[in-house]
Formats: sequence, C-alpha cells, structure tokens
Amino acid sequence: MQIPRYKSNKKLGFNMTPMIDVVFLLIIFFLVSSHLSKQENQIELSLPVAASADDAPNQQTPRVTINVTADGKYALAGRPIAAERLPQQFADVVAKEGKDLEVRIRGSRSAPYSAVEPIMLACTKAGIWNVTYAVFREAQQ
Amino acid sequence: MKRPSTHLHQPDAIDIDQAMTPMIDVVFLLLVFFVWTASFQVIEQILPSELSSQLGNQHSTLTPPPIKDFEDVIITISYDDGRPAWTLNKQPIQRVAEIERRLAAIASVNAAAPVILHPQPNVPLEFVIQSYDAAKLSGFTKVAFAVNPK
Repeated sequence: MQIPRYKSNKKLGFNMTPMIDVVFLLIIFFLVSSHLSKQENQIELSLPVAASADDAPNQQTPRVTINVTADGKYALAGRPIAAERLPQQFADVVAKEGKDLEVRIRGSRSAPYSAVEPIMLACTKAGIWNVTYAVFREAQQ
Repeated sequence: MKRPSTHLHQPDAIDIDQAMTPMIDVVFLLLVFFVWTASFQVIEQILPSELSSQLGNQHSTLTPPPIKDFEDVIITISYDDGRPAWTLNKQPIQRVAEIERRLAAIASVNAAAPVILHPQPNVPLEFVIQSYDAAKLSGFTKVAFAVNPK
C-alpha cells in the first residue's frame, strides 16, 4: 500500500498581514493626531465674509494665528493671552523667526474693532507688516 | 484500493477569504481616516492687509511730502442702535453698496489713492471687513486701517 504524501504548498515564513495592519494603524493614528493638534489652535469662530478673499497660500512663511472671540478676548496658539502681552509676544516671535512673519487675525464677525486695533498696533511696534484676516467667501454662506 | 486525494480542503476558497480580510481592514481604516480628516470644516480664505509704513503717518522731515492730485479717501464707520453707518469723505452713507459704487467712481479716476478706514471702537469686525472688501473690490490697491495709538 502506498502511503499518501501530503505535501503542503504553503511556504513557511512571517505572516505580514498583522504587521501591515499595525503599521497602517500607527500611520493613521499619527496623521489624525497631527490633524487634531492643528485644529485645536483654531477656535470655532464665525468669521466675517469677504468676496475679495484669496485662498490661503501654503507657503513656508512663519505664521502666527491670533483668535479674537466675539467678546474681544484673544487666544494665541490656542491659549488665552491678554492684550497687554501682545507686543512682547510678537517681539519674541520676531526675534525667533525674523520679521518675515505673517500674523493672521481670526476674528469673530461680532468682535468689536477695539479688540482688533491692539493687534495691529502690536504688529506695527514689532515691525510686522504682513497681517491677514481669516474670512469666509460669500459663496460658502 | 482508492488512492486518497491530497486535496483534503479547497485551498483556493480559503486563500481568497484570507486575502480579503486585511484588505477590508485597510479600506475601512482609510475610510475612517478620510471621513475624520474631512471634519466638515468650511475652508477659510484670507484677506491680505499689509500694514505698510508708507500708508501711515510717517512723513519725512527732510523733504516735503509730494503734492497729491487727490486727497486720501477717508471712510469712517460708526455703529449705533445695532446699525452701521458710513461716511465717505464726510458724506453720510447708509448702505455698503453705495460705498462700493462711489469708491468705484473714484477708483476709475485714480485707483492709487490711499483709502483709510476709520472704524469706531464699537463697530463689529463684520462691517469693518465688509468696508475693506468694498474698497478692494472697487479697485483700490492701498487700503489701510486707522489705529488709535494709546
């Protein structure tokens, strides 16, 4: 009687599937966490509307985003800051990054102009000329 | 005697099942990632506003300022009883569309004239940006904000 030979076609080796799963999970975790860290700098604000707005350029110019809430309070990099500290804060950033710096004002449409004025004044004192306003385009309203 | 078959199972069917599982995993992960990152945010645009020193109050002490063909266009914005009101070179205006129309008429003569926005402290940013936008849309290139130095 002939003994049947069970010859397996499968090759021995590492199973790559769980490793790929884990790698994908890690990639997605880091991508999502970096996305969330970007989002936390931006307070949800009802921005003003402007038809002549440009798309935000994806340039390498260092940028400081300052949020102005409807009640006139400031948040710089997600943290609240007093108006009196703005000139010193901008001066520190200029000393670190240089004067080729963009200050983006994300102001609520209800924020009074008296809350925006000190930001422009602080920028002028620090020698920053590139000031932009974050706005919505009319078509998005 | 019948020879036993070496195909005790159906290797093709099992291989397909095994191949599909990680692919479905990855597809679902990618789906979750893109749905999450989309985050349904409205895309923001920017309104550039250079705080140019040439538009400010800096005058040379050595040479007199050049004679201007046109005066600066000064727009004041006030906000009383929940309604904005404008003046364009001291002429009262009630609607921003009228501002834009008059600015366009001035810009057709000299678009290089500086436009200075002078909002009252209590004016909401919405109307400040609206006025700035109107000046830009009218064709003016130099639009500046008046700031009260404290």
